[in-house]
Amino acid sequence: MAPSPCALCKVNRALILRPKDHSKLCKTCFIIVFETEIHHTITTNVLFTRGERVAIGASGGKDSTVLASVLKTLNERYDYGLDLILLSIDEGIKGYRDDSLETVKRNAEQYGMELTILGYEELYGWTMDQVVEQVGKKGNCTYCGVFRRQALDRGASRLGVKHVVTGHNADDIAETVLMNLLRGDLPRLSRTTSIITSTPSVSADPLSNTNIKRSKPLKYAYEKEIVLYAHHKNLDYFSTECIYSPEAFRGSARALIKNLERVRPSAILDVVRSGEDMVKLVPGSDEGCGGVCSSSVPAAEENEGGCGSAQGRSTGGEMATVEAQLRHNEIAAADSLETEITAKSVNGKGNGNGKQPGQHESGTVILSNDKKAKKGFVPKKANKQVMGQCKKCGYLSSQEVCKACVLLEGLNKARPKNKIEVGDEVQDVSLNSVRDEMQATSIGGA
Amino acid sequence: MPGKHVAGAPDEPCRRCKDKISVLVVRSEPLCHECFARYVHTKCIKRLESFRVNFGAPEQQRRILVPLSFGVSSVTLLHILDLHLKTQKSKTGRTGFAISVLYIEEPDQPLEAEELLHKARKQDPDHQYASLPLHDVFRLIPDDASIRNLVPQLEHTNDSSPQEQLARLIDSLTSATARADVLTTLRTRLIVEHAKLAGCDSILWGDSTTRLAQRTLAETAKGRGFSLPWQVSDGESPFGINFHYPLRDVLKKELISYISMSEPGLAALVHETSSGVTQASTSSKNTTIDDLMKQYFESVEENFPSIVANVVRTTSKFEVRPGAASDPRCSLCSMPVPGGRFGIHGWGGDQEDGDNISSVKPTRNICYGCTRSIPKLATNTNGN
Repeated sequence: MAPSPCALCKVNRALILRPKDHSKLCKTCFIIVFETEIHHTITTNVLFTRGERVAIGASGGKDSTVLASVLKTLNERYDYGLDLILLSIDEGIKGYRDDSLETVKRNAEQYGMELTILGYEELYGWTMDQVVEQVGKKGNCTYCGVFRRQALDRGASRLGVKHVVTGHNADDIAETVLMNLLRGDLPRLSRTTSIITSTPSVSADPLSNTNIKRSKPLKYAYEKEIVLYAHHKNLDYFSTECIYSPEAFRGSARALIKNLERVRPSAILDVVRSGEDMVKLVPGSDEGCGGVCSSSVPAAEENEGGCGSAQGRSTGGEMATVEAQLRHNEIAAADSLETEITAKSVNGKGNGNGKQPGQHESGTVILSNDKKAKKGFVPKKANKQVMGQCKKCGYLSSQEVCKACVLLEGLNKARPKNKIEVGDEVQDVSLNSVRDEMQATSIGGA
Repeated sequence: MPGKHVAGAPDEPCRRCKDKISVLVVRSEPLCHECFARYVHTKCIKRLESFRVNFGAPEQQRRILVPLSFGVSSVTLLHILDLHLKTQKSKTGRTGFAISVLYIEEPDQPLEAEELLHKARKQDPDHQYASLPLHDVFRLIPDDASIRNLVPQLEHTNDSSPQEQLARLIDSLTSATARADVLTTLRTRLIVEHAKLAGCDSILWGDSTTRLAQRTLAETAKGRGFSLPWQVSDGESPFGINFHYPLRDVLKKELISYISMSEPGLAALVHETSSGVTQASTSSKNTTIDDLMKQYFESVEENFPSIVANVVRTTSKFEVRPGAASDPRCSLCSMPVPGGRFGIHGWGGDQEDGDNISSVKPTRNICYGCTRSIPKLATNTNGN
């Protein structure tokens, strides 16, 4: 085959078949195009303001490494005037994070960015190793996931940073769209597709960790292109690929996305587009506010359990569990046994706050570790969650006390004495824990 | 429950009549032949509430259209509707509706339309039967200009036959996915036009739960998330005619069992183009997005039927945007496009810079999903 010239510069030899549209590009043009598209995403969505201090949630993986590199490049090229820093979370699992944290440290030097590593220990008083010692291996993923969700926001507020960017890419978003359709979770569908999430009006306290804005500059970037970019720029990253169980929803959705991409390269982007359009069709959605309205569902939601890397192991039977629940509900519905074991009992706590009940009361399938989780399936309307603040830590929560605080309370109570309460609390959490390891893995959820 | 029985003979008594021996397990219930047939009938007829005998206006007979592809689902639907009419007749001396059956002849499809329709007529003689070639869509759609504009024109001729136009349109498409997508869209539009001309107020589609779930994800993957409220819901469609999916609560595999246990005359009507489990095409070039979703849900259906059903239930919860009726329509699929945002440009994921857009200004009003299938006019063949 004759070497073809780059479709853009028409000079150099094309070496890269661009995953997104199969155009043939030379290395230089690919890198420029990739960066320009992210610049385009940033400017059209007005992600940043001049002088803003922005923390990049950095795990040492490809996405966050590329994000840091591209933001540094663009910040200089287009003079965004951003103060970029790296923020990493250390769960405190010996031998697990060490390599990736080393990578982040090298990145900090390479990019000349300030790095802060915050441990679960500093943020919560517990390392994951200690948690495991306390609660055992079973169920500890719930803790890790719940803690991680808040960790970036808590970390950012410690540093006085109001904006955290994460490395979620187009594949992640597309997967989440399909996954939420598969498990019938419309509220989460709305939330995960927006590029910026924040809840500016929840608290006026500047130190409150509810005022953290989250954004995803790589939302429209293909995973394959991120890998190509990292490769051609010789970026230093650490592969921490999660092994998803093929049975779990995300694994299922992920495989589907990969197949779709093979059949039609634009499909990933097309699913993202569908996801954005579908948000406007969810009953009671705040059309067009992009999730930033005060009434909309917030940036970080605490009721998701599970840890990205443990996902495969802990949820092998996830689809089976949901299937069993749904079937149970179908039988109940057929027998007209509809029922107070449904959402109401789950949501009871929220009412004390003067908030509407209605969290997840929507035909949402609650994926839970807990087999006892009772979830009614009386879909009528997809209610959205109404958010308030945790009365303990001030973090966003649809409950009076956020999940992390509930878990911590259990842990701390058990520290001096026996673990009487733990069982209950764990159950309580997993009732609401719909796991979404995109948010769990990431250093931060959407 | 420990393990499931294979759909063979579980040797257990039927869970419903507690009398006969069960012949298969349906959603973890072992059922006998009769109870299974009743199960399928009930699920379908429950969806036909609005088609009861109207004693108020006996002279006004409603007419409905049943598109018949000679697949398992549409054959079953027609059969159950026929039984339903007979029941109505025997109970009240009248029927709630009359049926028009339509078969669409696809290009390159070897099905002998005449022979099949003859057999169908013999099976259920009381209905009107018709068969139309797909290219009739260019003849029947009244404002055919818009749809005809999508056909790449030859230099000087403007009066080619509908047949040639269809061939030219399909030939201009660059992927298997696009061809399957456009053919499906044209088929739907032709069925709608015929239904209107035949005086039908509703179209009763044969889609099973599995098929509807499959369509939900396929349309999502093709960038038509905006149209989901109309893809799987019963009731008013954007075409000015009602759509109903009476088999929406029955799984594809249940319909297959139903046909396999039915009288031979019914089974003989079925001409599935692909028999049994969909094969993964070896080349991704020939695989379509619809194929992928079909394979996917056939496998999910096997072990997780309730998840399939839940996808459909979830999708039915999407609400039509207020004012959607007055939104501009896509010239190809005819779906209302929010704010008339045609084409694939002008949204967050569009990475073309502003100056580029004006030059690619859409000259055609087709939606995002249709634009992916027909990316460029034939005159402009830059790949996309």
